[in-house]
Amino acid sequence: MRVLLVEDEADIREPLAQKLRKQGYTVDSAEDGAAGLFLGREYGIDVGIIDIGLPKLSGIELIRELRTLDKDFPILILTARGNWQDKVEGLEAGADDYLVKPFHVEELLARLNALLRRSGGWSQPVLSGGPVELDTRTQTVTLHGDPVDLTAYEYKVLEYMMLHAGKVISKTDLTEHIYDQDWDRDSNTIEVFVRRLRKKLDPDERYKPIETLRGRGYRFALER
Amino acid sequence: MGTALNLSIHQRLLLAASLVLSAFLGLTGFALDKAFRSATEEALQARLFSNVYALLAAAEEDQTGQLKMPEVMTDPRFNRPDSGLYAQVSGRQGNYRWQSPSSLGRRLGFLRQMQPGESKIERFNLHGSSAMVLSFGVVWEDFQGRELEYVLAVAEDLKPLREQVAAFRDSLFLWLGGAALLLLLVQGWVLRWGLQPLREVAQALTEIESGRADQLQGDYPKELNGLTSNINSLISHAQARQQRYRDSLGDLAHSLKTPLAVLQAVAEEESDNPRTSQETLREQVERMNQIVSHQLQRAAASGSSVLTQSLAVKPVVERIAGSLDKVYREQKINWVLDVAEETLFRGDEGDLMELLGNLMENACKYGDGHVHVQAQTGRDLYLRVEDNGKGIPRDQFETVLQRGHRADQQLPGQGIGLSVAADIVAAYGGRIEIGVAEQLGGVAVHLHLPGG
Repeated sequence: MRVLLVEDEADIREPLAQKLRKQGYTVDSAEDGAAGLFLGREYGIDVGIIDIGLPKLSGIELIRELRTLDKDFPILILTARGNWQDKVEGLEAGADDYLVKPFHVEELLARLNALLRRSGGWSQPVLSGGPVELDTRTQTVTLHGDPVDLTAYEYKVLEYMMLHAGKVISKTDLTEHIYDQDWDRDSNTIEVFVRRLRKKLDPDERYKPIETLRGRGYRFALER
Repeated sequence: MGTALNLSIHQRLLLAASLVLSAFLGLTGFALDKAFRSATEEALQARLFSNVYALLAAAEEDQTGQLKMPEVMTDPRFNRPDSGLYAQVSGRQGNYRWQSPSSLGRRLGFLRQMQPGESKIERFNLHGSSAMVLSFGVVWEDFQGRELEYVLAVAEDLKPLREQVAAFRDSLFLWLGGAALLLLLVQGWVLRWGLQPLREVAQALTEIESGRADQLQGDYPKELNGLTSNINSLISHAQARQQRYRDSLGDLAHSLKTPLAVLQAVAEEESDNPRTSQETLREQVERMNQIVSHQLQRAAASGSSVLTQSLAVKPVVERIAGSLDKVYREQKINWVLDVAEETLFRGDEGDLMELLGNLMENACKYGDGHVHVQAQTGRDLYLRVEDNGKGIPRDQFETVLQRGHRADQQLPGQGIGLSVAADIVAAYGGRIEIGVAEQLGGVAVHLHLPGG
């Protein structure tokens, strides 16, 4: 999951980015609105965390710009003042949730999780498809109720696919939403992850949870 | 009035009144003068006629039937030389000529030839001074029955008349001028007296500015009562706000002392258990955060003021509901917004947003998907926010509102939003009550805000 983090206060931005990376997110961070707009425009962002008081381009303006560019990823605004005028203005500009500073990182992570699930059309924190269940809170996967041991990258790939279950996901989509920009984007590694996932989730090749659509990508095919 | 002519009210009134007064007195003088002049001229003309009749009455005829004027006239002015009243008679037949004795040594010649029965009044320059002349044509039937035509003319010098008019004018302008001066003085005094309350208000404001007084004291005329009472309530509003800031600052500083002391203890402690230290740090930071945000909210509520505008409640309610819809998308809030278009709130928009935002968010958070917002305007503005949640136990209705006031013992949850609402309502001099929602079964928060 790719997070756009726009926050001018380095003492908040850096530790938060680190926390997010530790949670398995890929983080693009910017210290002002203009840089945030560039990142939001150029990369396939899954969720945005935007501070309202930003230099160069205010948070509200940044959100408006992103929305006029048809970027519809969910956005969480951070506000220090916490008054309703700011909140309402931000939400009306196109944000989806707000958090008042100072906040607990746990709360931020829970909100991000909820926003991501919501954008994929899930209302529960546990994503399920056939016998597979993925708990976004604990980042664990079970098959018929038994835990499945996945590496961090395998989990990321599965989570992205299940969030967008039923939709075709290209390899480029997967690399973009899972790797940091400076990482090697070799599509073969994705194929390796998918092959391993298939083996772990469907050892007997009964359910066929991940379909391959030749030349187009993959699709998580089990019913919700 | 342009900037070039920035006169005081006193000067303006005085200037305008003086202009009107002088125009009025000037026109009066002019009209009186004209009336007097024409009256004297008419009187003169009447006198000339009666003089001519007197001449006719005094005339006799001699043996030849010729007209014969007496040696001495009854009006002495005809007899005295240079008296200013002269008469002349001439006959059209023959060479009859007669001049009154007053014209001794003078050549008259103002007589005109007139048809019998004709008369004419005109001005004539008689030896350098202007005179009014009446020429009158008559037919005289003598004892032989002949009809002889004569012209009688009487001239009166205008000099006395002019002097009379001039004397009248002098006294007229003296009186009018005197009256004008007197009126102006009275008017100046009236204006001073009339504008005295304004000067007093200005003086009282200076007193307040310099800190010697804190309200406009005393009785003012009813035209100024609105102004002075508005100024007074503005002043007390500002004072109340200043007091609130001061109190909040004091409370803030005071309530931060405890967590700061705890933090200091943690910093100085030789910790053998970093986990508990971290836990303490976390707790204290959370506590300080709540203290700061609570005091900030409390100080920021601007409260009602006499001069604040009224704003429509409906759009604010709708905006907040729209925003909360996004945040609580998963709960799919079912709103019933029963707010009439014309419902107005007298106060600051930020306060209303804070009030409704906190209450409506609480309803979303602690309710179960149904929120009912109602607003009514009567004498006061009545607002009600209800939800279908578990509600608050009856015995906690009061404490939940009070909780915010014990800032250093604040707990997260419904209490924060409610106590912020309670602070704002208090700043407006209103009332907040918590009860059970009749239809929805959850919490019902009732607000009464004055002057809706």
